[in-house]
Amino acid sequence: MPDTITIGRLLRSSTTGFVFGCSVPEPEVPLFGAFVKVPAQKGQTEVMGLIYNIAVEDDLFVRQMVAAPDLDEAYIQDQRANRQVPIEVSVLAVGYRSSAGLSYALPPQPPITLDRIHPCSRAEVLEFTARFDYLRLILDSPEAPADELIAASLRLAASARPPEDRAFFLREAGKELARLLSRDLARLENLLRRIRP
Amino acid sequence: MALELNKLTHAVEDLGANAAQRLIELEERLPAAQAVLDAIGVADDELHRKVNAALNFRWAGAIPTDEPVNAAFPLPPHPARLNVIAADGSQIYPDRHGVSLYYLVNVGSIVFRHGLPEAPSTASQPEVFFEDADLYEEDGGQIPSVKIDAERDLRELRELARLAAAEATTAPTVTLLDNGLLLYITLQVPDQKLIDEVIGAYLAQLDALQRSGAASAGVVDRPRAASVIRLLRLATLALNEIGEAELRTLGPFQHITDGMLFGFLRPGERSALFVNASPANLDRYRPRGHTIYLFYLNAGRPGKDSILRVEVPEWIAQDRARLDLVHTAIYEQCRASDGFPYVLMRAHELAVVTAGERRAFDQMVSGALIRRGLHAGISQKAQGKAWTGAGKRRYPR
Repeated sequence: MPDTITIGRLLRSSTTGFVFGCSVPEPEVPLFGAFVKVPAQKGQTEVMGLIYNIAVEDDLFVRQMVAAPDLDEAYIQDQRANRQVPIEVSVLAVGYRSSAGLSYALPPQPPITLDRIHPCSRAEVLEFTARFDYLRLILDSPEAPADELIAASLRLAASARPPEDRAFFLREAGKELARLLSRDLARLENLLRRIRP
Repeated sequence: MALELNKLTHAVEDLGANAAQRLIELEERLPAAQAVLDAIGVADDELHRKVNAALNFRWAGAIPTDEPVNAAFPLPPHPARLNVIAADGSQIYPDRHGVSLYYLVNVGSIVFRHGLPEAPSTASQPEVFFEDADLYEEDGGQIPSVKIDAERDLRELRELARLAAAEATTAPTVTLLDNGLLLYITLQVPDQKLIDEVIGAYLAQLDALQRSGAASAGVVDRPRAASVIRLLRLATLALNEIGEAELRTLGPFQHITDGMLFGFLRPGERSALFVNASPANLDRYRPRGHTIYLFYLNAGRPGKDSILRVEVPEWIAQDRARLDLVHTAIYEQCRASDGFPYVLMRAHELAVVTAGERRAFDQMVSGALIRRGLHAGISQKAQGKAWTGAGKRRYPR
């Protein structure tokens, strides 16, 4: 995945996460469970996050068009490409990069309005997922669908690795989840089934 | 709240009852109007003599054409490829209580290409006017709003002409304005020089539209006009009864509108064509070959009628193929947006200056003034309005 493209701009944020807006999504971005990054603290840090919701907003104009039969394709393209009704993408903060390196913790300061959001490169995903400390942040999140998000992000992180390394990576992730969810075996079983190589 | 709604409860009830009663009365009188319309059919020589007599009194009714006045023309087929272009404008009037004296005109436009699987082209073009020559009249007074409206109308038409010149070479093209094609500046200001200037510039743009080959029309939603009703009133008068006093009233048809009269049109049907008898049309547009015609169109769907008034210049009214194009294009556009052309809704959306955008622009202006060491405040009166109009917080007594 290229790391230079901007996939959206920040609408609102807090320490625990942020929401960015984008126009019509491309097939590859944004994806549920994908890693994204955004600068904060005037570039001193870079917040890493996981996409946990993609919402297509509507308005009254679109609502009344839904009932119109046999619409010419140009009407649909106008609504999708020209009208500025953003697609809202919610991101859970799972770590940040500073001059001291990667931290698997909430960032000291959130990004601010209209900051550019970029997808993380393959190398950045590999580096970030070399440790599983961020899984605790996902499990503790009150907003994100934690189990689905963990499963999706681990599968994406596995696919960023060479085929021969994927099963090992997912087994190691499973071990970490077993440690974190040792008191909730039903949930653990459900999660392990989803990430089974 | 400043508006104490509880004190208006009874008045609002009365308003509703009054509206219902008025509608009942109008509906009782409507069949008589429709009977006169049916009786006229194709206008005969006598009716034309009456029209000519009435025109001597600057009568502003609808002049019948060769088409039967009670006709309903079915929806023509829509071509597979058709361009529909729309433009609309909005403005910020000068505000002497604002941060600086200026006015702004913004024109939004859209080129919609039916039959091509691509997004329409959209644009908006703002321009701000702040020079003394823009803001002040020769007598030192501030520019009147009617002149700004005329500037906006002219820019809308110019944008349509510019786009039509490029698009009409690719496919049949219709241009739409969210208003009639007749400028009412003649009714709003006494200044003949200004009227000549504005209408002259407007007609020059109609010339350009005609040269482009596009079919042009203006669309009026929920029309309140009673042009055809005036014709019915005229038809009921004897030739020797026609005079200023008689023409001033609508007699038994008082308060009935053309929109109500043409309520018999089924979705997709248009009425007969009429010539707008407005003096501005006959004195200024007709000599330049742009006589404005009008017809009514039901752009709704079964169960939800939407009667629109459509104005077209004579070079469309007298060209049946392009008239049909206007008819079918407007109806098809209304299908997507339930009774009013989609492109006009979008052009408005592209043109409108929202309160938030105006605030943002005023902040830009303030910044430019402050950077040059100038004061950038609004008047204390405007400040007071901002404070008191933002909603009150009341503490319990």
